[in-house]
Amino acid sequence: MSGAGYKTAPVEDSISKVNDELAVGADLKFQRRWWFFERCVWVLFLLIVIADLLGCFGRGYFSHAAQKGPAGVMDIQYERIERFSTPSILTVHFGPNAVRDGQIKLWASGSLVKPLGNQRVIPAPSSSVLENGGVLYTFPASPHPSSVEFALEPATFGAFPLTLQVPGTDAVNLKIYVMP
Amino acid sequence: MDSVIRAAFGYCFLIFMVRIVGRRPGKQMTPFEFVLIFFIGGLTLTSMVNDDRSFSNALVQIVTVACLHFLIAAVKVRSVWFTLLIDGTPVVLMEKNQWISENMLEMRIADDDVMAAARDKGLLSLEQIDYAVLERNGEISVIQMEEAS
Repeated sequence: MSGAGYKTAPVEDSISKVNDELAVGADLKFQRRWWFFERCVWVLFLLIVIADLLGCFGRGYFSHAAQKGPAGVMDIQYERIERFSTPSILTVHFGPNAVRDGQIKLWASGSLVKPLGNQRVIPAPSSSVLENGGVLYTFPASPHPSSVEFALEPATFGAFPLTLQVPGTDAVNLKIYVMP
Repeated sequence: MDSVIRAAFGYCFLIFMVRIVGRRPGKQMTPFEFVLIFFIGGLTLTSMVNDDRSFSNALVQIVTVACLHFLIAAVKVRSVWFTLLIDGTPVVLMEKNQWISENMLEMRIADDDVMAAARDKGLLSLEQIDYAVLERNGEISVIQMEEAS
């Protein structure tokens, strides 16, 4: 205790010195390990950049995907890897076999609306009905090939299955990964 | 809760990035380093704020960063190992007027940077430097060679 009542401690010469004269406190052993770690991190950074350029985190070559449905019914173009809260387009190209009575019906599983954040459908369907845990859209259509776009903006991240089906034909199952 | 997690991640990620990118941004800041700091900071901010521009979000995130900063400072005082991890260690760049090439190269410091620090101390040339040390805050300390008596 000092006279003024402070807690005191003796000064110890604990800082390592260079050439026994300059107190620097350098720890070269640690620093060399850190440099090695840094190099590993730079390699990782490089891999991250390359992976992103290739589209592994969305919006690139590997993230674009196409899935063929039943022949003459529909094909789907979508982003296999999406990004959280980032707009993207899922396009369904319909073939002539999808048209019945001048209209196309398409059932989409509930994941299209909630986790994948469907914002709008272009063109707007003439009706959309909740059915079997999903939504059944009805579009007026001509026999010529036509397509429908779903503007997605995922509201959460993770892996989400998505099923699309023209009633009376085989369902198309997709898996969409949403990056944080 | 989301705000706290985003702020904590942003803060820790920035500390990590600045640590990896190197110590030069600390004191020897040129326009080249200014760009880096503002760019990384700005990009981190985008993901921290997301689409929530409310005062509550800002308040929570600032308080979170303040708490983390306090916590890290408190642990640093108590743990030498943690201080090394967060701040690194001083690195000797020149010893007895001899460059330590490995340290210069690894720390990405050029002799011009050392000379700039020497000029700041009123030295005229590199020959007048006895020791040069890259400090933990990025400053280069220069110890002048003693005059031969």
